[in-house]
Amino acid sequence: MAKVLVLALLVSGSLAAHQQKEAYTTVLFNERGDTLEVQHRFYLHDAEHALKARTGESVDLTLDASSQQRFADYLLSHFRLQIAGQELSLNEVGFEVEGKYFWVYQETNLPQGIKSLKVAMSALQEVWQSQINHINVERKGRVSSARLGSKDGLTEIRLEP
Amino acid sequence: MNLTSPNFMMKKSTPFIFSLLFLVFLQPVSHASSVLQTKGDFQDKFRQLDEVLPTPNDYRNAAGEPGKEYWQQQVDYKIDAVLDEPNRRISANQTITYHNKSPYKLSYLWVQLEQNRFSPDSVAERSVAFAGIGRRGPGTRAKEGDSPAGISLGELRRQQFYEDVEIGYTISNVVDAQGQALPHIINGAQMRIDLPTSLESGQSFEFNLDFAYNILEENAVRARSGYEHFPDDAREGGNDIFLLAQWFPRVAAYSDYEAWHNKEFLGRGEFTLEFGDYDVKMTVPADHILTSTGVLQNADDVLSSLQQRRLKEAENAERPVFVVTADEALDNESSASTDSKTWHFKAENVRDFAWSSSRKFMWDAKGHHQPGSEQPLVMAMSFFPKEGGELWRKYSTESVIHAMEVYNRFTFDYPYPVSISVNGPVGGMEYPMITFNGPRTDLQDDKSRTYTLAEKRFLLGVVIHEVGHNYFPMIVNSDERQWTWMDEGLNSFLDAIAGREWDPEIPWGVEPRDVVDYMKSDVQVPIMTQSDSILKLGPNSYTKPAVALTILRETILGRELFDFAFKEYSRRWMNKRPTPSDFFRTMEEASGVDLDWFWHGWFYTTDHVDISIDKVSLLQLDTQNPDIDFDRRRQEENDKPEPRFEELNRQEGRATWIELNGDVRDFHDENDRFTVTNKERNEYLQSLEDMEIWERKALERAVREDKNYYVAEFSNIGGLVMPILLEITFEDGTTQSQVLPAEIWRRSPNNVSRLIVTPKRKLISSIEVDPRWDTADVDVDNNHYPRKIIESRIEAFKREKREGMEYRDIMQDSKTERESPKPKERRK
Repeated sequence: MAKVLVLALLVSGSLAAHQQKEAYTTVLFNERGDTLEVQHRFYLHDAEHALKARTGESVDLTLDASSQQRFADYLLSHFRLQIAGQELSLNEVGFEVEGKYFWVYQETNLPQGIKSLKVAMSALQEVWQSQINHINVERKGRVSSARLGSKDGLTEIRLEP
Repeated sequence: MNLTSPNFMMKKSTPFIFSLLFLVFLQPVSHASSVLQTKGDFQDKFRQLDEVLPTPNDYRNAAGEPGKEYWQQQVDYKIDAVLDEPNRRISANQTITYHNKSPYKLSYLWVQLEQNRFSPDSVAERSVAFAGIGRRGPGTRAKEGDSPAGISLGELRRQQFYEDVEIGYTISNVVDAQGQALPHIINGAQMRIDLPTSLESGQSFEFNLDFAYNILEENAVRARSGYEHFPDDAREGGNDIFLLAQWFPRVAAYSDYEAWHNKEFLGRGEFTLEFGDYDVKMTVPADHILTSTGVLQNADDVLSSLQQRRLKEAENAERPVFVVTADEALDNESSASTDSKTWHFKAENVRDFAWSSSRKFMWDAKGHHQPGSEQPLVMAMSFFPKEGGELWRKYSTESVIHAMEVYNRFTFDYPYPVSISVNGPVGGMEYPMITFNGPRTDLQDDKSRTYTLAEKRFLLGVVIHEVGHNYFPMIVNSDERQWTWMDEGLNSFLDAIAGREWDPEIPWGVEPRDVVDYMKSDVQVPIMTQSDSILKLGPNSYTKPAVALTILRETILGRELFDFAFKEYSRRWMNKRPTPSDFFRTMEEASGVDLDWFWHGWFYTTDHVDISIDKVSLLQLDTQNPDIDFDRRRQEENDKPEPRFEELNRQEGRATWIELNGDVRDFHDENDRFTVTNKERNEYLQSLEDMEIWERKALERAVREDKNYYVAEFSNIGGLVMPILLEITFEDGTTQSQVLPAEIWRRSPNNVSRLIVTPKRKLISSIEVDPRWDTADVDVDNNHYPRKIIESRIEAFKREKREGMEYRDIMQDSKTERESPKPKERRK
């Protein structure tokens, strides 16, 4: 008999469909700036419906700065980056609305000699099972990617040499 | 600018021919499995698609148009349905007449039972992975590290709905026209009906069946249709909006290229059906307002005279006219009628039939006139509850009309009598003449209803998109289950045009740059992938093909060629069934441009666009005249930096031997190694004499004009061959655009060089590739020569925090009370 595991309750996303249910996170090795930059791009419309699903309140992410901060905090709390088994501490740089996207930025010092990293991005996946968070890791013009679905958790991405 | 200066070589044996040597290693490898390049790794990006596309035949020809023997089946339906509102159940009987217009005889018919796709024992349901990507709907999460596995309340709601409600069809009384039972077998979401005798080509077969099913709760199951419950309405027990689609057993398509289209519905690859005529009666509660595919046949029975007058008035109204007003809809919401009404609709030559019913609906309408068209008047109409609010009142019907105006220009005049937008629980879904669209307003504490800019963009975008689906695939009847991009991609391409023509200030996010994050990644599949196997449906089947067509129109073919070809495709396949090859062939044949390379790269591979400008060299014509060339050599020598040894010696004040011994001189001290002698002059004059007359004239002119010859070197990093768009900036500040066609890569797909000749005084200062971001080039860092420092997004953000007008919180600021200026304290 299998060991009984805890089954946690997730927030329900029973709102209107037609969300894009996809987001992009880019991890950029900026050698010139000696920084590791992380940018998250989410659809505003997805974000507004997700916040409503979580809080029951309607929000306007285009105009309302406090909602923007709340969503940025939410996104960052669902993002993890690990190098050599160590959790990487990232500084929040800020967030902004541009076009139909909501962007959140983070950075830290550029790590050296990295051959792979592990990343988890579970934002919105407790709201919609089909949410895919796409990760592009860019170093020296080469891109290594992962598509993170709700089952993926911390996922290793091997970098191009 | 770092321009090197190798001499432009002039060979004596073949004088005056530009002899740039490309070291090209021809190592061809074909993308077609039947033709293999078995040595080397050359990729022929321009190989014709002959082995990839199906062989043309009499059903669909080499031009990409219906062939001389083209055929398609026809299926007519007569349905009598009853909505049992308290039990949320549909019961119906239907008569199906199948017309075999194929050249083949059929011994059985396949029927799609899409409601069975939701049955717990269906392939679709049994193949849903826990915490996986399998279906629309609520989520689960796998255990990961210290985080326990998770299940959403939505998933629990779905499971409980499955426990409480029997899902799937009850099919009975499957009989032929004479009442004889027909052998049939139900296999999941499909049913095979065995015919008493083979149905010969040209014959028709009529049969009947009864069906019933419990309507799914859309918000619990996610089924593209179903009911939505409003428990807070004044009526005891609340109200529902019913969206009925995939609601009746539908005969599967049978085509020349696939025979029976009996790949079972798994939830993603949508539908294709046969065209046919529909005669449908729907009995619903008497206080419901019902809308559907087709034309209402019994208005006197179901509409008041006032409603009919309003409809007539709407035909020529400037703005939508309410047929059922907000107040009337609110009254209906609290109605408790136990009567019923039967609404009777007919629709001709459509491939499906959907409808909606609720007592919550407002209804507005406005006539859209198409002078000279077979359908000169189309009634654009919207049905929505109070939850749609001002957003729907202002924009739904108007955006229905805008969509038709734009799409008509690119395809054909909208051929149906109505175009309907219904607000319900489905985010966006399309059926002939009727679309389901989800945007809503939010009820505030002060009882007002507001909506965000994102929700407004959603409404405009989704209504335009779903109405656009009337053209693709409802009329141009491609197979969504097989090739989702054929309708979603083409439709997204056109809805991007319609959106920007509505208001370009609204950020639609439909530019080529919006797809680069997807295209640069290494986890994707080609567009030409069957729908259920696609990893990311949105960017794969919507955005990427839409961007590809945008680039094809704006950058590669130009609007004149593209628009003609696209319209030709639409007209050829109006009310017919095209395949990808028909689209590819028509676009190529009608534009007169070889596009096999484009289809191959964008649709059959996962390559992306990344063209780098690596180097620009300034070349100088070797005149062979020693009095010119030797002097140039001397100048080149003088232009070299002074050796550090000499500079430091000079700084130390160290004199050279010849400076210290100026009395010792010889011929070489007075004549450097670039000194011209008559020996060189004689050789030059003799070479001129030996030239053909035309050769001499060409040389003399070139020497006289003394133009600049630049060679720009490019590499194709992304693999996708594309035109090279250049913006050349000159030292005098002027710019010039050049487009190098994609064919420049045909024999050298990885690296090419291009000669750029400019007048003597027109010196290039920089060159940029794709300056307007027209080609979805994923890396603009390598698009400049000389290289520029391109700020990362975060660097730019940190440098200049956006402070535009759109970042003011005007919703909050507008609450500020007006105040008189505080008097300034003044001191003498």
